[in-house]
Amino acid sequence: MKVKQHIKAVVLATALAASATVASAQDKEPIRFGLCFDLSKSYTFISPQVAQAAQDLAMYTNENGGIEGHPVEVIIRDHGNEPQRGVECYEQLKREGVFLFNFLSTPVTNAVLPRAMKDGNVLMQSFVGRGDAVDGEVFEWVFPVGPTYWQQAANDVAFIKGQMGGDLSKAKIGFIYLDYPFGQEPIEILKTLSEKEGFELELYPVPLPGSDQAGAWSKIRRDKPDYVISWLLAGGHVVASKEMRRNRFPIDRYLSVNWLNEVDIANIGAEEAKGILRGTNVAGGQEVPIVKTMLDTYYANGKGSGPESLVRDVYYNTGMAIYSAGFEAARIAITENGWPITPETMKNAFESIENFDGNGIMAPVTVTDKDHGGGGKTRVEQWNGETWVPLTDWSADYLDVVWDVIKHSSATFTVE
Amino acid sequence: MFYRLSGVHHANYVSDSRIFKVPADRNLTAFIFLIGLAAPFIIPSLYLNSYMLPWLIWTAAALGLNLVTGWAGQLHLGYAAVMAVGAYSSIHAARFGVPWEFALIIGGLTSSVIGSLFAFAALRVKGLYLALTTLAMQFVMDWVLTHSPAISGGSHASLQSPTLALLGQEITTDTGFYYVAFGWCVLVTIFMLNLKRTGLGRALVAVREKDFAAAILGVNSFYYKILAFATSSFIAGVSGALLVATFFFLAAPEQFSVAVSIQVLAMVIVGGLGSIIGSYFGVALILLVPGIVNGLVVTLSDGLGMQIDVETLAHIPNAVYGALIVIILLIEPLGLGKLYGNIRDYLMVWPFDQFKK
Repeated sequence: MKVKQHIKAVVLATALAASATVASAQDKEPIRFGLCFDLSKSYTFISPQVAQAAQDLAMYTNENGGIEGHPVEVIIRDHGNEPQRGVECYEQLKREGVFLFNFLSTPVTNAVLPRAMKDGNVLMQSFVGRGDAVDGEVFEWVFPVGPTYWQQAANDVAFIKGQMGGDLSKAKIGFIYLDYPFGQEPIEILKTLSEKEGFELELYPVPLPGSDQAGAWSKIRRDKPDYVISWLLAGGHVVASKEMRRNRFPIDRYLSVNWLNEVDIANIGAEEAKGILRGTNVAGGQEVPIVKTMLDTYYANGKGSGPESLVRDVYYNTGMAIYSAGFEAARIAITENGWPITPETMKNAFESIENFDGNGIMAPVTVTDKDHGGGGKTRVEQWNGETWVPLTDWSADYLDVVWDVIKHSSATFTVE
Repeated sequence: MFYRLSGVHHANYVSDSRIFKVPADRNLTAFIFLIGLAAPFIIPSLYLNSYMLPWLIWTAAALGLNLVTGWAGQLHLGYAAVMAVGAYSSIHAARFGVPWEFALIIGGLTSSVIGSLFAFAALRVKGLYLALTTLAMQFVMDWVLTHSPAISGGSHASLQSPTLALLGQEITTDTGFYYVAFGWCVLVTIFMLNLKRTGLGRALVAVREKDFAAAILGVNSFYYKILAFATSSFIAGVSGALLVATFFFLAAPEQFSVAVSIQVLAMVIVGGLGSIIGSYFGVALILLVPGIVNGLVVTLSDGLGMQIDVETLAHIPNAVYGALIVIILLIEPLGLGKLYGNIRDYLMVWPFDQFKK
C-alpha cells in the first residue's frame, strides 16, 4: 500500500492538476529536451544510464498526462565527446526549436557554453563543465543543478569533521586525484579548509587514466591519513581498492567523489567493497520511490527504455535527479507563465525551484537567480554489501569558503 | 575530356612552372572559389556554421601539417599542441588588449618559435624516433596546460576568447566568421600551391625523399627541416587561434589533446600526403563524415520506425565510418587526393587511353 501511495505522489508531483487534460495530452505541442550525449567514447560509463532515465521519466510523465497537459519529448543524439560534433548537435537541435540542452561531457559543454549564453538557451550541466557556472549572475543560462566539486569536497571535509568528533586540528586528510582539471578542482578548497580547520592535507596525484597508483598508495601507507578523499573515476576506484588491500588501508576510510557506481562496486567485489564511502547529492539504490515505480511499471513487464541492469545503477538515479528537476522547471514555467514556454520562462522557472527533491531522489534544491546549483547539499552514503546506506542527512557546509572560490573563478570568465 | 590539353604548350620555364598548367584546373578552382564566396547566400546557416566553417579552418591546419609531413616528410604527432600554443597566446594577447590582427600574428609566431624549438631537439633523430619526440611535445603541452591556471584560465581550465574584430570591424555573425575562415583557408591554399613550384618546395621534397642525398646536392637538410617546422607551426598557430575565435569561442585543453593530433594526422594521410586538394577531402572525411553518418542513421531508423536503443544507434555510425576509411585506403592507399588525381588523369586523355587496353 505504501509503495502505491508513493507512486501516486510521484505522479502528482510531475503532473499536477493534469487529470482534466489527460486525454488531450498527446495532441498538444511537446516540450522538447535535447540530449546530445557521448554514447560512444569516454562518457559511456554514465550516459546510457542517464539517457535511459530521461526516456523512462518522459514515458511515465506522458502516460500520466504530461507536464500540464503537454507531452515531453526527449531527443537523444551522440556526439562522441568531440566538441565539434557537440556544436553541430546544438546548432541542429536549436534550429528544430529545442532550447533545453544537456551535453553531459565537460569538453563539449565547455565548447557549447559561449553559444548557449549568446543565444539565450538553457544549458543543463549537472556534474560536468565549469564549477563556477553555479554563479547565476555570470552564467545566466547555465543550470548545473547539484553540487559543484568544490562544494562536494567541502561537504566531505565536514563529514570527516563529524566523524572525528568535531575537531580536525589533529586530523590528517589525504586527497588522491586524477592529475587533470577534474581531479585538481577541489585542491584549492581543501587547502583553504586545511588552514581554517587546522588539519594536515596530503596530496596524492595519480596520472591518467588512473591505472597506476602504486606510488601514491605506498606514500599513503607511510603518511597514515585518517581519511582519504578520492577524485578518481570508474576503473580508478578498482585499482585503488586493490592498493588499499595491499597497503592495509581500511576501505571504510575511503571517501569517493560521486562517480562511483555499481559497476565499479562489482569490479571491486560487492563483499570486498563493503564500507566504501561516497559523497553524493543523489539517493542511491532501488528503494527510491521514482526508481521503484519505473521498475514496477515498466521493467517488471519488459517495457523499459533499455536493459534493466542499467536501472540498478546509481547513475540511473543521477539521470532521474537531473530530469526530475528539469521537468519540474518545465511544470513551473507553464503554471507561472503559461504556454508556450520560452527560454526566458524556463530560466525563470529554474530559478524558482524551491526545496525540490524529486520525491526523495536527490538532495532538496532551491535554485535562485544567484545560485544556479540549488544549494549544493550532499550526503555520505556507505556500501553495505548490497546497497547504499546514507550515513548523514543532506547538508551543505563551508558555503562562504566555497562561494569565495566560485566568485573568484567566475570573475575571470567575462571578457568585453 | 574536361581537362583539355589541346593547344596547351609549355615552351619556357616560366610557363612550365605555372600554378595551373591545364586551363580546366584553373577554371575548376575559380568555380569552387566563387561557390566558397557565395556560400553564405546559398548554404543554410546550420551547414555554414557547423560544417563549412570548421571544415575550412581544419583544412588550413591540415595543410600546415601536410607541409611538414607530406612535403618535408617529417612525421609530426604533436600538431594539436602547436595549435594550442597559437590559440592560447592569441587569446591572451587579445584579452590583454592587443588588436586581433596582431594577436593572431603573435599566436602564429609563438607557435612558430615553440614548434621549431622542439624541432631543434627532435630533428637530431629521424623517422619513428622523431614521431615519438613530437608526441612527447604533445604531452608536455598537455601537462603545462592542465597545470598552469594562469595560461589555461579559471575553473576546469577554460578560457573565453574576446569578440573577434578585424580591421576595426567586430565580427559576430555566422557569415562574418565564415568569411574569416574562408579567407584564412584561401591564403594557406595559395601559399601551398605556390610552395610546390618554388625552390623551397623542391628542397623540401628532396629532403623528404632522402635527406643525405639532398645534402650531397647542396641542400642543407637540417635548415629546411627547421624551416618546414617553423612554417607549419605558424599555420597551426593561426588556425588554432581562429578555431577558438570563430568556432569554439572558448579554449579548453581537450580541444587540443593528443586525440586531436592523431585526428589531424589522419586527415592528412587519408587525404593524401603532399596533396592540397586531398587535404580538403581528408578533413571532410575525418571531421564531418561521423556527424553526417550519425544524422543519416538516426533519420533512417526514425523513418523505418525501428526501435534501436540509443547506444547501438551511436555505435553504428562509428562502424560505418571506420569501414569507410578502410575501404578508401584499400582502394587508393595514397589517399583521397590521389583518387581524385586518378579520375583527372583518366579524363585527361580520354578516349585515347582506351586504345591501349
